[in-house]
Amino acid sequence: MFKPNDPTSASKIDVEFRLIKGYKNTKEGSNNPPLLNLSLEQGGSYIFEFENFLDLQVCREFVGNALTKSGDAAKAKSGDTAKAKSGEAVKATSDRSTVTYPDEQLISSAEMELRIKLLRENSELQNLHKKFVLGNILTESEFWATRKKLLDGDIGTKSKQRVGFKSSMILDIKPMTDGRTNKVTFNLTPEIKYQIFALKPAVHRAFLNHVPNKMTEKDFWTKYFRAEYLHSTKNAVAAAAEAAEDEELAIFLKDDDILANAARQKIRRVDPTLDMEADQGDDYMHLPDHGIFRDGSKEITDSQHEQFKRTFLQDLNRQGEVVLEGRTIDVELEDPRTVAEALAQSRQESDENAKQERLDRISRMTEMEDLQAPHDHPLAPLCIKDPRDYFDSQQLKTSDDTRAGSEQLRCSLSSEEAYGSLRGSISEIKAMGLSDPVVRPEVAVMVLNGLTQNISSTKFQLGKNAQEGILNSLPNTTKEELLHHWISIQELLRHFWSSYPITTSYLYAKVSRVKDAMSKIYPQLEEIKESVPSDLRQQVFLLVRPMHQALDAAFQHYEADLQKRSAKGGDKPNGYV
Amino acid sequence: MKFQIEDVTVYFPYDHIYPEQYAYMVELKRALDARGHCLLEMPTGTGKTIALLSLITSYTLSKPNNPVKLIYCTRTVHEMEKTLAELKLLHAYQTTHIGDRARILAVGLSSRKNLCVNSRVLAAENRDSVDASCRRLTASWVRAAAAANPNLPTCEFFEEYEKAGSNAVLPPGVYTLQDLRAYGKEKGWCPYFLARHMVQFANVVVYSYQYLLDPKVAGYISKEMQKESVVVFDEAHNIDNVCIEALSVSVRRQTLEGARRNLNKMRQEIEKFKATDAGRLRAEYNRLVEGLAQRGNLPFTDNWLSNPALPDDILKEAVPGNIRRAEHFLHVLRRLVQYLEGRLETDNVEKEGPVGFVASINTHAGIDQKTLKFCYDRLHSLMLTLEITDTDEFLHIQTICDFATLVGTYTRGFSIIIEPFDERMPHIPDPVLQLSCHDASLAIKPVFDRFQSVVITSGTLSPIDLYPRLLNFHPVVSRSFTMSLTRDCICPMVLTRGSDQLPVSTKFDMRSDLGVVRNYGRLLLEMASVVPDGIVCFFVSYSYMDGIVNSWNENGILKEIMQHKLVFIETQDVVETTLALDNYRKACDCGRGAIFFSVARGKVAEGIDFDRHYGRLVIMFGVPFQYTLSKILLARLEYLRDTFQIKEGDFLTFDALRQAAQCVGRVIRSKADYGMMIFADKRYSRHDKRSKLPGWILSHLRDAHLNLSTDMALHIAREFLRKMAQPYDKAGGSGRKTLLSQEDVEKMSDGILNEMQY
Repeated sequence: MFKPNDPTSASKIDVEFRLIKGYKNTKEGSNNPPLLNLSLEQGGSYIFEFENFLDLQVCREFVGNALTKSGDAAKAKSGDTAKAKSGEAVKATSDRSTVTYPDEQLISSAEMELRIKLLRENSELQNLHKKFVLGNILTESEFWATRKKLLDGDIGTKSKQRVGFKSSMILDIKPMTDGRTNKVTFNLTPEIKYQIFALKPAVHRAFLNHVPNKMTEKDFWTKYFRAEYLHSTKNAVAAAAEAAEDEELAIFLKDDDILANAARQKIRRVDPTLDMEADQGDDYMHLPDHGIFRDGSKEITDSQHEQFKRTFLQDLNRQGEVVLEGRTIDVELEDPRTVAEALAQSRQESDENAKQERLDRISRMTEMEDLQAPHDHPLAPLCIKDPRDYFDSQQLKTSDDTRAGSEQLRCSLSSEEAYGSLRGSISEIKAMGLSDPVVRPEVAVMVLNGLTQNISSTKFQLGKNAQEGILNSLPNTTKEELLHHWISIQELLRHFWSSYPITTSYLYAKVSRVKDAMSKIYPQLEEIKESVPSDLRQQVFLLVRPMHQALDAAFQHYEADLQKRSAKGGDKPNGYV
Repeated sequence: MKFQIEDVTVYFPYDHIYPEQYAYMVELKRALDARGHCLLEMPTGTGKTIALLSLITSYTLSKPNNPVKLIYCTRTVHEMEKTLAELKLLHAYQTTHIGDRARILAVGLSSRKNLCVNSRVLAAENRDSVDASCRRLTASWVRAAAAANPNLPTCEFFEEYEKAGSNAVLPPGVYTLQDLRAYGKEKGWCPYFLARHMVQFANVVVYSYQYLLDPKVAGYISKEMQKESVVVFDEAHNIDNVCIEALSVSVRRQTLEGARRNLNKMRQEIEKFKATDAGRLRAEYNRLVEGLAQRGNLPFTDNWLSNPALPDDILKEAVPGNIRRAEHFLHVLRRLVQYLEGRLETDNVEKEGPVGFVASINTHAGIDQKTLKFCYDRLHSLMLTLEITDTDEFLHIQTICDFATLVGTYTRGFSIIIEPFDERMPHIPDPVLQLSCHDASLAIKPVFDRFQSVVITSGTLSPIDLYPRLLNFHPVVSRSFTMSLTRDCICPMVLTRGSDQLPVSTKFDMRSDLGVVRNYGRLLLEMASVVPDGIVCFFVSYSYMDGIVNSWNENGILKEIMQHKLVFIETQDVVETTLALDNYRKACDCGRGAIFFSVARGKVAEGIDFDRHYGRLVIMFGVPFQYTLSKILLARLEYLRDTFQIKEGDFLTFDALRQAAQCVGRVIRSKADYGMMIFADKRYSRHDKRSKLPGWILSHLRDAHLNLSTDMALHIAREFLRKMAQPYDKAGGSGRKTLLSQEDVEKMSDGILNEMQY
């Protein structure tokens, strides 16, 4: 819905996004006024003129998002002709091109994208989303509010932990020969290029300087590997000769001056207990020609072509350094040019308190740890008298929000259960390890049995296999239906319980919506129970019962709460709820 | 803690003390009482340094009327810093418990490069250019000229220091090099000259071996040290090599070419002076007629390296007449250079004694022995007269004069060896004329003579009776201490066979065998998958390391190793090695784990600790024998056999094993630490080799660990690491105490002391 800023024009346009098939806009900087052209499926288009480009940008982004979203939703519905509106349909008021969602919550486009991505990756989530959000049972924001962690966590992992370098990266760049000719083929992936840039700043700089102005990327890499080949032949003289002829080749052959400079800087921050460079200044043996020159322990260096003689050992050291520094940039590795630029930016950082740290380290190093009383670390000894208690409380904590659904969890899908018991056994080991140096296996087994009694009981009833056996023995459709139902129930229950205590009218509305949905599932479960063949009915019954129980508990709570509410605040106007 | 050793109250900065530290102090105290020299071997990781420092400082405190000055010599600058840091800890403890009486002044002294705070000077690349650019700003004639012409640059720090005059003193305290620089910056005084000035007054001086052993340096830095000093050589297992190097000079083609250039430059200078300031040259001539002794009253900043010959060997007489005039002296040098050039043009290896060599110079170049002897001092005088500040430009001619003076001074203990090329690379002509000293006792003799007590101490001095012979002195105390271990925290093993049960060795004929290379690689690979954190590997030489790493790379072992740990390598470039070490530590700290490849006899093996998680395992690949075909080594062996009756084989084994012990000893620093040591060579299982290892390693080398293959070693490593991970009682629990509290020390009887010795 776009409201023109011009008060004189009374027209108001309301177009559903699904009808819009594309959009165009004028480029910034051109002489044209900022225009946005939305073309419609049925033909025809709307053209909007904006006051400035900033507004245009905002609006364009919004429209773009909405378009992709509606397209996405359409796909998810797979031919479903149901009228799309719901969470995706967005209302936009454009009186200064401010974009608002129905729930008055501004969602950044990034988050939107993330949601879409999550939906696309997780079909289960998509189903749920389709069912509840599009079925108007939950709103978009409600749906995602419970999955904040999913969203946050996703962003969090993205920024915090990057894949480091492999320890053996320099060995990865191996040529391939076809065996017949002398031709050598190098297979360069963006990853390898990035590694080369990280390892060799001079190559990196050369790349920035020469590509694509002076030579093509392909030429650049050909030259680079030519230089590498010369190195590998260990023929310093030949390398020197080639370098003299070809100026660009020389860049790769000479020692990396950037590295040398960096080394000079880093040496000042090095731990003084291993600063051997300082000795060089102190030791008068380093006067030229003093001391014993050739006693076999010293090595011979060919000083003349030294700059062309880079050893494999140096490369190894450099690689170790780069691996330790880790990945510094976070861009897609497709285009070497952008990689190179991003790398150049990340190289500019500095640190100040390194000196102080250096001093601290040396004073820590000098103390003899076992001659004095140990330093006090701020930790309290963990002492668990009864491990049972500890686990039960832990268990409660982890499955708090899914308490209602935990019963059925046991029988059908055991991820939470498995997590809980794993966690339990880990803390068990920790606890036992602290109180007793050796973990006795029988104790562990006992505890594990105690914790998983539920599982084992079904297991013993049914014979060999655990709960998976039951599910697998069911016909596929039934199984899927069951799983689907229980996931929906879990989701609904989560919303249901999290709305209590009801403090606002909004929550009240939500609870009743959720309750309605749940009561719809209830008979569906009954149907499933009826539909399965009789030999499996017993097991299905077992599976469905906890779901029913959980639902019943929710209904009961709802009724009780309603009664309490009406009893207590009967005089309140209806509008309150 | 505070306790009594006979009449000395010892203040020790920790609550507990190891019994061997106590025993060490007792022996040291007896040596000080007897005013004699001593030789003490105590395993690494038992706190030698702190025991030594606290005893000597406490000794002075207990006998205020007979104060001793401590001159502590370290091999490297970082050891100097470590020592000073320990002393700081001790000093803080003593001042809080005794009060101001315990205040001392302790300074570390290093070269200008490590102490200078003038950014313009520091911009220079290496030590020599730092020295020269300092001189360019502080030489007496530069300063005189600057007084007249304020546009000439001087060093503001030195000027400030000069202005402060006798007020420029360091307040009592312990000063590391870092502290000196900070103090100098704060006060605006030059830390280098301040430190050199304070050396005379300090109670404790920490500096490098060379400052005492190398006559060139000792001549102007350690001259004023009083006799009542205790000199300590820490990590002294290589002291004989340091002594020998201090008196050895080699001359190469580049040296001679450089010397020629220097001579031309000097001639030009002389011509210039003749035209402008002939009086200067005449004054110098007159001074030389009267005798040389001018070094004593030179301005502080004009000092250069002194005469390379030992002070007692320099004749107190006037410079011979034929080199008194500057141009005559230049002629003599020119003839000498020409003669040496002629000698380098040889196709065969030649070996000569100094007497024969001097005689041949006399006949061919007409320079007699006495003239040769005065070359160095005469050059000095000339360079001062010519006001040459770019000393780094004139290093070549200084080398030639060093050589001349040494060869003219000594008649025994040296030999001159001329080699046309390096034997390992016969196709590259690189002639070199080496004057090599064979007798370690020459350089150290003045130290033994001058100072009342000299303490030689290290973790590896075995066999302890060999050192007095090599250095030609008579210790009043010579002891080797064991290590009292709470638990078996070191685990030495001898690995003789690889995973395919074939013997491994770096013996010359097996060295390049691919099977051996692969077995070594598998050993490292297997160990890397078992041992946590840091692993250190030592190889017998750079070239061997280079070769083996490359072949590991080719057959893929290196890549497999790198799946477990990062790899860092010592190279010949010190800066790069230092950074590699720094990164190695980072990798160990962050838990990634790393392997450091290093070389026995290299810089890393000499001074870097791989304690705690920085080194849980050290593998010594091969026996680090010296290059036995080296002409210099052969000459030295011959000399040792003739003079000291030390058999060649014995000396070589002794030398190789002390290096190996030194390498593996780097992994342990205290008793709370633990580490494994693998000697990977079949020759270690032989008794004659093994028995040369220090006692503290031998006592932990079980018979079952003497002949292992890779799989067995792996099993032992697993067991050992598991055992070490368990908590334990630090005090040693029942039976022998390994950690003494104050009470324990007080009621200790001499019985325990004897237990600590071999």
